[in-house]
Amino acid sequence: MENLRLTSIKGKTPKKTQIQVGNVKIGEGFTVIAGPCSVESEEQTIETARQVKEAGADMLRGGAFKPRTSPYSFQGLGIKGLKILEKAKKETGLPVVTEVLDPRDVSWVCEYVDVLQIGTRNMQNFSLLKEVGKADKPVLLKRGMYSTLKEWLSCAEYVLAEGNPNVILCERGIRTIETYTRNTLDLAVVPSVKEVTHLPIIVDPSHGTGRLSLIEQMSLASVAAGADGIIVEVHRNPSEALCDGDQSLTPSMFAGMMKKLRILHDCMVKINES
Amino acid sequence: MELKEIRKRIDLLDSRILRILNDRMELALMAKKLKSSIEDKDREKEIIERIRMNSTGLINAEFVEKVYTEILKESKNLQKKEHSLIGFNGEHGAYGEVALRAWNSDWVSVPSKGYAAVFEGVSTGLYDYGIVAVENTLGGVIGEVNELLVNTDLYVIGAVELPIYLCLLTLPGVDHRDIRTVYSQSTALSQCRNFLSRNRLEPVQYFDTAGAAKMLAEETPKSSAVIASALAAEIYNLEIIKEDIDDFERNMTRFLILSREENKEEGDKCSILFSTEHRAGTLFSVLEVFAKENINLTRIGSIQSGVGNYTFFLDFIGSDKDEKIIKILKDLKKVALNLRFMGCYREIKVK
Repeated sequence: MENLRLTSIKGKTPKKTQIQVGNVKIGEGFTVIAGPCSVESEEQTIETARQVKEAGADMLRGGAFKPRTSPYSFQGLGIKGLKILEKAKKETGLPVVTEVLDPRDVSWVCEYVDVLQIGTRNMQNFSLLKEVGKADKPVLLKRGMYSTLKEWLSCAEYVLAEGNPNVILCERGIRTIETYTRNTLDLAVVPSVKEVTHLPIIVDPSHGTGRLSLIEQMSLASVAAGADGIIVEVHRNPSEALCDGDQSLTPSMFAGMMKKLRILHDCMVKINES
Repeated sequence: MELKEIRKRIDLLDSRILRILNDRMELALMAKKLKSSIEDKDREKEIIERIRMNSTGLINAEFVEKVYTEILKESKNLQKKEHSLIGFNGEHGAYGEVALRAWNSDWVSVPSKGYAAVFEGVSTGLYDYGIVAVENTLGGVIGEVNELLVNTDLYVIGAVELPIYLCLLTLPGVDHRDIRTVYSQSTALSQCRNFLSRNRLEPVQYFDTAGAAKMLAEETPKSSAVIASALAAEIYNLEIIKEDIDDFERNMTRFLILSREENKEEGDKCSILFSTEHRAGTLFSVLEVFAKENINLTRIGSIQSGVGNYTFFLDFIGSDKDEKIIKILKDLKKVALNLRFMGCYREIKVK
């Protein structure tokens, strides 16, 4: 892994990067980030935030600027969406992750939320990477849907090289010959990441599978694979969602899954200690 | 120009027409304080004649007369009702107005040009009350107001502690990426210095926060935003881009409510003004009166009134109906010079 001076593991007892976001420390324990695909209204976002918090989520997700395949699909509420996320944070205390699409928006998004997400389509948008590299907020870097681990880490290197040491990698599935699932969730990349970099990695089983029925299993598999957390889509009424409705968990499904995740995580801690 | 753009301009004008109508009604209520009866046929005739003469372009004399007959009718209706007018410094949407709304939202707030005009308006009976800022956690004592307090006969009938939330406002529909220039009063700009520099925005000084909001709504300069209150956003129909943008955690301003008459309701805080003889220990002997009776002082301030002469402000906890306080006020007369009791009142803290 040449040219990954800052991203790759150094020394024999490498120090893992831990990232403090509000009361949450990513890279220590198992962090669960949950919320709607996009911010649709204040009421929807705040209600979902309350529900995921009650079920035990550590952070809230929600998109204000949406990268959509079609220019005619819902593009997100923009600044209005950011204001709603800020309010949801005030009401629940959950730190917020949201995607940033445009380098001109980076400083503004930092004013409202706690973690900047770089989406899969923008993984190699180098001007955007440089801009978030200058920001004083952690960056959640999703894996490009056609990218190798090395290409992905090179993108993390861009952010670190600009002076921002706080990068969280996020596996969200890659394009393969398989069509049953929306993407192929590459869980082997989780322990691979741990072998080559000190950065924390979380898994997005919602985009990784695109199938509601598979999300719980793959979330549990992420715990077993050693991931530092998951980011998962939850909508109070998935059939009404303006985007990604078929892969959103209901709040009660999410609450059920959370219980199992915590049990498995405790188990994994014991296994790793033995 | 597209239809959408034309409609946007119409909306801005409508909101301006409403504000101007409101200003006119405020003036009508002030006029009532100075005239003997509400009906004044000669004055009405004079107004109608003049506006008929001034009607130009698409506005014909008959139309404008109809509109004004309605306006005059409504203004007399308002004059017939009992209203309490309270003057505040600045334009509508100023923080003084935010504070007075928290105190009593039924009062009619009237913008005034400068603190001196607020004091004068209350003294002459144009306003029933006035509200003035006395101190700010970041900026300190407001010297001009304290000087005016020394030289006034008005009473303090209430106090409001208001957290100052500075908001970034734009015209509706403006893309945040297009904002380049931010207008506001100099203190507000300096309290948001880091926010402005993080987002590469150019600060430009304006005399008043709410005044900047009004200017933005009326002159619609391009690529611009202002820093003002959320109330200013509501009044001038502006969009709040970001609330609470100041770099500092807590920024509180304390306001006093002034009246020609002493407060008749129950109070728990008192304010006095006094000076002392130029002798060792004179200030101590005043403070000793409070210490002996175990009274908590909440503020002590001084202001120079002439060379070497100081006037002191003292706020303390207690009611002027309380025997202990009555005795203190009597004892103070023996040790303090030019003692003036400014009032016993209630202080509210806005969240």
